[in-house]
Amino acid sequence: MVSTVSMAVDLGGIRMRNPLNTASGTYGNGVQFEGFYDVGATLGAITCKGVAAVPWDGNPAPRLAELPGSAIMNSVGLQNPGVRGFVERYGDYLQGLRDRGCQVICQIAGHSLDEYRQATELFEELAPFASGFEVNISCPNIAQGGAAMGATPEAAAQVMSVVRPLTARPVVVKMAPHDVAEIGRALEASGADALSLINTIPGMAIDIRTRRSRLARATAGVSGPAIHAIAVRMVWECANAVTIPICGIGGVASGADAAEMILAGATAVSVGTANLYDPTCVPRILVELEEWACGQGVSDINELIGAFEC
Amino acid sequence: MHSDAVTQHEFVVRGNERAAEGIWRLVIESPVAGQLAPGQFMNLRVPGDGSHILGIPLSFKGANAQAQTVELLYAVVGEGTRRLSQMVAGQSSTLVGPCGRGWWLPEGEGRALLVAGGIGLPPVLAAARMLADAGIGFDAIAGSRTADMVLSDDIEDLARLAGADGRVITCTDDGTAGRRGFVTEAMGELLRERAYAQAYACGPNVMMAGVARLADEHGVACQVSMERMMGCGFGACSCCNVALVAGGYALCCTDGPVFDAREVAW
Repeated sequence: MVSTVSMAVDLGGIRMRNPLNTASGTYGNGVQFEGFYDVGATLGAITCKGVAAVPWDGNPAPRLAELPGSAIMNSVGLQNPGVRGFVERYGDYLQGLRDRGCQVICQIAGHSLDEYRQATELFEELAPFASGFEVNISCPNIAQGGAAMGATPEAAAQVMSVVRPLTARPVVVKMAPHDVAEIGRALEASGADALSLINTIPGMAIDIRTRRSRLARATAGVSGPAIHAIAVRMVWECANAVTIPICGIGGVASGADAAEMILAGATAVSVGTANLYDPTCVPRILVELEEWACGQGVSDINELIGAFEC
Repeated sequence: MHSDAVTQHEFVVRGNERAAEGIWRLVIESPVAGQLAPGQFMNLRVPGDGSHILGIPLSFKGANAQAQTVELLYAVVGEGTRRLSQMVAGQSSTLVGPCGRGWWLPEGEGRALLVAGGIGLPPVLAAARMLADAGIGFDAIAGSRTADMVLSDDIEDLARLAGADGRVITCTDDGTAGRRGFVTEAMGELLRERAYAQAYACGPNVMMAGVARLADEHGVACQVSMERMMGCGFGACSCCNVALVAGGYALCCTDGPVFDAREVAW
């Protein structure tokens, strides 16, 4: 099908040529997918792996379990080389993506307000290739900070009050899967340009023989197609509560899944877990999404954002 | 930077049958055959039921670039491998690979010592072929829990590659085939009898830790092929971490699966 639909969207100042983005932590930093398709020519944006001011080791093994019913759970714990190491290793590659029309969103991680401050300052100084930032206040797998930083509207707003004054570039906030309307409103009020949701849903998987967790940590984040319906509901709730754009994340594995996110109110859609088990899925999802938009008889995909009827 | 552009390939099942108790032999036809280096692995997708989403990372025993075939062995341990065991000749799917960093040739002069435990045998056979092609002599030990689980045909292949000068020892934990006892006991004997430049090992973690310790005590360099649950197999998710002596973690899928045993924090 030849598309006549304009696919370009604006995620809070991050101008994407199409709505497809990648969920942080499921896509390396893009280069890992170059053997599967032309990353720079395909994606609307890439969201890089979360990076802190200094390197983090992440959690012990095992970090992964597969669950029945199309889901996995992970407790990676934001293993990262620190902003300097990240820029050294991936800066040139990411600048190349940017040059080719793929927006680059760098994810900021921290254990404390001070660490968010340091990471943002370093990114501001060292990462001219970043089109914008995603502040991760929802990682369920780190002992301090992480999800706690986004657990309440007050805590979430506090992180924004630290990050916001440090950059003029667009700031997206990655939200945890709870109280998304209330926390979304607080983030909008404190200067967020866009919201991305949901992060993984905290879960447990117990080995009943050993009575221990199947992962090194007692709890870990559940993701994959199994959580898609929950994510769509939360995107819808959040979209009804805020006026800033949303990037929908959660179990997207097809154009239909991405379309649901857009109808629920998402401006952009991130592909996450599907990248791991079906690494060529993004170009296919993009074609399917375009075909759907075409079939809906619109000339611009923006007409379909939040077009869910009830 | 990791990742030398891992790619996706079609594969067609040419054979898939029981090789020993709980262990299956899979022969696939795929263009990946011509690209595999010994000790690398590939991540196979099992078609059908979408409730089990992750691929199955498997190291290979041997590949024939001309015929485009790859021989693999796998233990049926969970839902994914159970469904893989149900694939029949002619069925097709996709795989991601070649993945990871495989075995390397010994740095010094001298013989090599190969140690395999259970389903660790296939990559050890790939190492054996690499050594034979390079004209490097080796001895080998293959251990299994019990006689039913011994991969006799593959151990014969190992013996053939080892040649007249090579010793190949089979052992079982319960003594129902070959020698009774763990591979490390046989390894201790060989280390006392002959000098080695390099050991190669793949098997359960506890076995590899024992092999690494013995090799180190005898001043023999040792390579180990590690196993981890993997999300992607090509460095995208950071789920398959291996703890390092130097601190921090490496990724099994891109930094390994083969590691210098002295770098691993057992």
